[in-house]
Order: sequence, then C-alpha cells, then structure tokens
Amino acid sequence: MIRVLNGLRLGTRLAGGVLLPLLLLMSQAAAQDLAISGATILTVTDGTIENGTVVVRNGKITAVGQDVPIPAGVPVIDGSGRYVMPGIVDAHSHMAMDRGVNEGSETVTPELIIDMRNDDPQLYRALAGGVTTIHVLHGSANVIGAQNAVIKLRWGHPLEDMYVEGAPRGMKFALGENPKRSTGRYPASRMGIEHTLRWWFNQAREYMKEWDAYEAARRRNPDLVPPRRDLRLEALADVLRGEILTHVHAYRADEMIMMMEVADEFGFTVATFQHGLEGFKITNELAAHGAAVSAFADNWAYKVEAFDAIPHAMYLMWSRGVRVSLNSDSGERTRRMYQEAAKAMKYGGMPEDEALKLITLYAAADVGIDHLVGSIEVGKDGDFAIFNGPPFAPASRVEMTIIDGRVYFDREEAETLEKQLARNAAEREDDR
Amino acid sequence: MIHMTADSRVRAPRRFPQPAALRRLGSLALALALTAALGALHETAAQSLSLGGADGTFFIRGGTVIPTGGQRLEGAGILIRDGRIAAVGRDIQAPADAIVIDATGKYVYPGMINSNTGLGLSEISAVEVTVDLREAGDFNPHIRALNAVNPHTQMIPITRVNGVTAAITRPTGGIISGQAALLQLDGWTAQAMALRPYAALIMNVPGGGGRGPRGGAARRPPDLQEVYDYFAAAREYHRVRAGGAGPVDLGFEALGPVLEGEVPVIINANGREQIETALGMAEELGIRIVIVGGRGSYHLADRLAEGEIPVILGSLQSTVGADDPYDAIYAEPGVLYRAGVKLAFSTGDVANARHVAHHAALAMAYGLPEDAALNALTIWPAQIWGVDGEIGSLEVGKSADLFVSTGSPMDARSQVAHVFIAGRQIPFDDYHTALFEKFKTRPLDR
Repeated sequence: MIRVLNGLRLGTRLAGGVLLPLLLLMSQAAAQDLAISGATILTVTDGTIENGTVVVRNGKITAVGQDVPIPAGVPVIDGSGRYVMPGIVDAHSHMAMDRGVNEGSETVTPELIIDMRNDDPQLYRALAGGVTTIHVLHGSANVIGAQNAVIKLRWGHPLEDMYVEGAPRGMKFALGENPKRSTGRYPASRMGIEHTLRWWFNQAREYMKEWDAYEAARRRNPDLVPPRRDLRLEALADVLRGEILTHVHAYRADEMIMMMEVADEFGFTVATFQHGLEGFKITNELAAHGAAVSAFADNWAYKVEAFDAIPHAMYLMWSRGVRVSLNSDSGERTRRMYQEAAKAMKYGGMPEDEALKLITLYAAADVGIDHLVGSIEVGKDGDFAIFNGPPFAPASRVEMTIIDGRVYFDREEAETLEKQLARNAAEREDDR
Repeated sequence: MIHMTADSRVRAPRRFPQPAALRRLGSLALALALTAALGALHETAAQSLSLGGADGTFFIRGGTVIPTGGQRLEGAGILIRDGRIAAVGRDIQAPADAIVIDATGKYVYPGMINSNTGLGLSEISAVEVTVDLREAGDFNPHIRALNAVNPHTQMIPITRVNGVTAAITRPTGGIISGQAALLQLDGWTAQAMALRPYAALIMNVPGGGGRGPRGGAARRPPDLQEVYDYFAAAREYHRVRAGGAGPVDLGFEALGPVLEGEVPVIINANGREQIETALGMAEELGIRIVIVGGRGSYHLADRLAEGEIPVILGSLQSTVGADDPYDAIYAEPGVLYRAGVKLAFSTGDVANARHVAHHAALAMAYGLPEDAALNALTIWPAQIWGVDGEIGSLEVGKSADLFVSTGSPMDARSQVAHVFIAGRQIPFDDYHTALFEKFKTRPLDR
C-alpha cells in the first residue's frame, strides 16, 4: 500500500537533476495543441468572456479572449453554446490509492509516501465530471500520516506521467475522533494527540540540530562520523524546514487552534485544514496563522465532531479572510463538484466567480500548484471542463474534459446509458 | 410572550406558555404577533431551539407561481387561510386581515416530499444510542416508525427550511422492516405531524442486503418461501380472526391493511435480479408495491410501467456499478420517465434529506425534463402515498404546504425565502441558520 521512500531527499535531488527534464520531455510529448472557439469562457480570475476563444500550444494556454486568432494547424473545438471553465481540482481524494488508505499500525508514519495506481475506474468517472487534478492523501487514522500525491487524470497513461511536475511535497496529519479511536494505541484523547505532535516535532528539531552541527563540523573534519539517519525524523525535519506542506484533517475549532499553536511553537505554518468543519468559528485565528480550509459543502451529523458543520461555513470563512476550497473525499462527490460549489452561492451568497474558485484556483493553491492550474490564463496548463450550460445550472453536464490540451473525456465518444439501451434495442430488433 | 420582539424571542422557551390572557386573545392576534416576530427572526435569529410554525392568514403576492410541473402563473397571488390554500391566481387581492408577503422576482413552489428518509429516527449516525432505525428480527410488520420519531430533532427544521415540507420516515433492516410514516415537517408531536401514520410497509428482498440490527454479517441467502409462508399464515390468521376465533398476533394484525390493498409495500430493490424478485413477490402475494432504490430498474422500465409500479429513486449521489456506463445513475430517471414509470425522488438519509432536489438536478442534466423532476418531488409522491388531495400541488382546498425561492429548487444556487406547512409560517431558526447568524457577528478583532 505504501512504500518507504528510501533516501527521500537524495531522491528528490536526483529527480530534479536527471529525472525531471526527462519527465518534462515525456509529458510534452503527451501534450497537444488545441483551440476552443465561440464559447462562454469562465476564466475564474478575469471574469467571463462571451463568444470567447482559448488557444493551447504544447499543453499551455497561449491566448484567451474574444478576438484571438487561431494559428493554422491547431485543431479547433466548436464551443458555441458551451461553457468552458478551468479543469476542476479536487483538493482531497483517496481515489487510485493502491490497496488501502491508512497505514494504521502506528500513529506516526511521515516517512511513508502513498502508492498509486493508474487504472482505478473512479479516475475516469471523475474526468467525466470535469475533474482534471486531484490531491490524494493518506487516511486520517494516524496523527501524522504519510506523504501525498498530486496527480492529473491523464487516463490511459503510465502512473509516472500522472504526477504533477512542480507540485510541492505534502503530508497528512489528523486530529480528533479518527486518530484517537484506534483502539489499543496511544493517543486516546485530543490531549494525547497534542502531546504526540509536540513530542515528535521536538525529536525532529533535535535531529535537525544534530545534523546541522554535523554539517558545520564536517567542514573542519571531513572524517567525522555522521549521526544515525532516521527517515521518520528526516521527513518531519523537512516539515520544520518548510519544505513539506502540512494538510491537517480536523473538524473542531479547538483542535485546529491547538494545531496552529503547535505549528507556531515549532516554526512552521499549517497549509490547510482538511474539512475544517468548525473553521467558521475561528476565522480570526485561521486568517492570522495563514491556514486555508478545504471544506465539505454540506456533510454533517455523521459523528459528534461533525454536528456543528454548517453549509454556510464556506461563505463565512471566505468572507472573513480565510482561503477556502472544496473537496470530495469521495469517488462519488468528485463526479459533481460543480454542484457542491454552487451551494456556496445558496448558503450565504458567495459570488459566482468565487464559488468557482473553490473547486479550481483555491484548491490548486492548497497544494501549491496555482501557478500551473486553476484558472484560464495565458501560461497556465490547458486544463478545461466544457459544459453544455452554466456549470452551476441544474441541467448542466460535462461534455468534454481536457488536460494539457488533450481530450481525455468526450461524452460523444463515451459509453452512456442511452447508447447502451439503443444498442440493446437494436439487437432485440435483429433477433426478431 | 405577547409583546414579542426579536430580542425577547431569542430567549423564548421551546414551548409556549399558555396563560388564560393569551388564550383569550384569539388566534388572529396571536398569529399577527407571532408573524411579526418571525419576520424579524428571519433576519436576526441566533438561537437553536426551533420554534413551531405560526398560524395566520397569509397572502403571497407578486411571485411566479408554479402550481405543479408544467404550469406557471406569473405575477400571481396565493391566499392561505385556516391552513389551506384559499385562492391562487393573478386576479386575486390580499384580504384586509392577511399578512402580506412580497414574492416579486421570486418563485412559489409546492412543498417537496422526500420519499425515503430516517428523519426523527437518527440524529448522529456514528453514535448508536442516537439511532433508532433498525429493530432486531426479520419479520417486523408491527414495528412502527411514527412512535419513535423525535419531533424535536435538529434534522427537521434544517430540512424544511429548504422547501422539503413532507417526508417518508421508515425503519430499515430484516425482511419486513416495519411501518413507514408520512410526516408533514411541522408539529408539536410526531402524531400531529403524521399525514399517514402507516403510509407503507417496508420490505427488503430476502437476501438483498438485509443485515442484523447492529450491522452484523450478511444473512444467509434468502428463502423466498419463508416470505410467502408468512403472508399465507397472515391471510389464514385474518380468515380465522374474521370468524372471531384465535389469539391476537401483532405482526399479522399489522399486515392486515397490506393484504386489503389499503397500504402499499415499499420494497428496497436494486439491480435487475432484486427488482424482478420484487415484481414476482407483488404478483405472488397480491400486494401493491412501490420500488425504492430502483438502481438498474431501466432494464425493466416497460414492465414497471405496464404494472403501474412506482419507483422511488434512491440517492443519485452514488457511484455506478463496475459494468455500468458512467452516467447510468444520472440517466436512469429519464429512461424510466420516458417509459411511463411514476417516479419520486428520495435521499435515503437523514442529514441531507434537505437536498433531495439536488438529486433531481442530476437527473435533469442527463435527460429528465424539468417539469417531470419537479413533479417527482411533489405531486407524484403525493399520489403514490395517497395524499394528493392534501399536498403536492398548489390548488385551492389543499393544505398550504409551499415555499418561496429565488429559483428552481433543483438549482443548487437557489435560496429559499419562506416556507409554509399546513398554512403555518415556518421560522428560519434552524440549528445551521442559528450558527451562521451567531458567527457572522463575531468581531474580527477578538
């Protein structure tokens, strides 16, 4: 399910030096030129363009606007009557995890990195809902879980081609009922969760100091014996160095404040609270710390810590200075993230552009890739969801999903219930 | 309590004290006082004890009225008096005693019906002591949802402020789970809320996922014969009892209205095999059935239409089977509708029973016409549950169960502005709205 990443930092350096250019070359081979013309384009960052055109070259957006020339040889999709929004980014998913979501044998497992597969059919169904990028996280059984994956749904490609190049590393943490309810294991309370965090970060800080001292001394004495290497502490030290984004599963306001206090004590910033159901109660504290919240639209009451989850939370947090995204945490919800985002307009009255950002730009920012995806802007990846109507309208559906200028889902080509029934009827006719 | 302001209302107890002086005031004055307070409450409430609906004569003016799917009256009025719809149309005026609600630019819809929920039977699904959905045993026709419904659950106010004004609440589990009730979502007791205390008997296809009350291992494969024997014994029991003989059996007694065809049987069935079994059970047992769930019923759409067997669609917010096209769940309602099957929507849950119309929206996107989507939330379930003389459309004489919204309920952006149930104005003081109002006021600096 999960592999221990041996020599993680070394591996990263290697990837940067040798593998990354190779990977880029490969992904460019997969990328394409493409234009969509005559469509209503929801750029998300720069308003809505009626009768607009967007051009993608080599997988990147090169032009977007009303009077944009389409270079010769670039295939054109007729967008008349269609609505184009940025490909949807699902900020919390467990799809395509290989054999299991939690490594539950211990409660602190930061040295692990989740293993993925490329053939989970849920990925295809998410594509059919306009999703182009997903943030895949370890489960919430452990106070400190494993390292994440950020992938694009390049369905049909090898797994190596699915990872988003340039996405920072991320790590899952979990507070509250989930980590404490694992029986026969410390911690058994929220108090113990705080102590677990502080104990391990203290260890990591000592470890970091030991290595820093060694590195400094080694310059004078090259023969010095290095300290014993500890992959677990090394991963946590990378958190303290700010090299890993921390994604913290949390529901209640108190546990989020606790986590921010721990982060402040050890000098790092919580990147996101995952779910953060009670985030609306502590918007001042979240904004001051700089933590974002990746929320559910209306999930609530399935357990005690979810009883105060209100659908107005998206609006409350957003309007009070906290960056908010929406996530599915589910192979089902991911198919209709646009419907979830529309609820931010219902409950509180978020403007449409901002509600769209919940599932695009702000979700991309959660995982540090908002410079690549999340809006329709020149220079960003050619990732789009094309709808037959306004994405938030009840009769709208996804007609086409495009990643890096390449079509990965096209309803006209896809197997649908209607086609299946028509075929069955034709077969029955033949039998007669 | 008489001279209520929004502020005093914030501290109001759940139950109204009824001093003699207040009783003497008469219902009209009370209604006026309540409604004035409720109007303010809508804007400023910050409390979590949801109040009951307020009686009164109300006139909703200026909105686009959708009496039922396919009809549309622009700039029309609705008069609500004595709990009923007293008038609907474009040429009617507000009587002098009516409280006028302006719906200009908004839409007035019949209240929605969620045809499969556990409302009042479950509060926090992970906390077993708050869940009363399942009883032990396989044959439980005597088990009644109604008398276990907590009418003061937080779930009901949250549901109704979204325009869902009635719901089936039902037990689950076993082969015969028990009796479902159809509730109007306002009232001081569950019994007062019951539009149909025994709306349907709930059954599962034997072996079709029936589990023990605590989620134990799946039962052994079905013996359909056991069901047939049980029904045969019940018929024999009623024959003997009609002659005045034999001791009372509560289970067989409860089957009586089903055997008489007075009460339908809701059969949970998904997939071709289960639905075919359900159809066979209906025929063999001579009972009137309604399919709930209905996943994969498109295979049998023509048979369901021919047999006039309604389908209560289970949650459309579900994942498709491995061999199904990606849109099978979303497209199925449209297929059933075109074949002529009577449909109703449901959520199958409790916490988000409020968002049943969003399930219908997914069906719309994949082929169900908007009018049919609305009807499957209103008049069709009313017909299925035999209450279309009472609710399900905006017609003179019916119970005034309706809501005013900025748009179609299927549109997830739409905001509900007013809700009426049995002619009572429903306060927007549910737990979620109260938390929203509270934390909106938190100062940014402390």
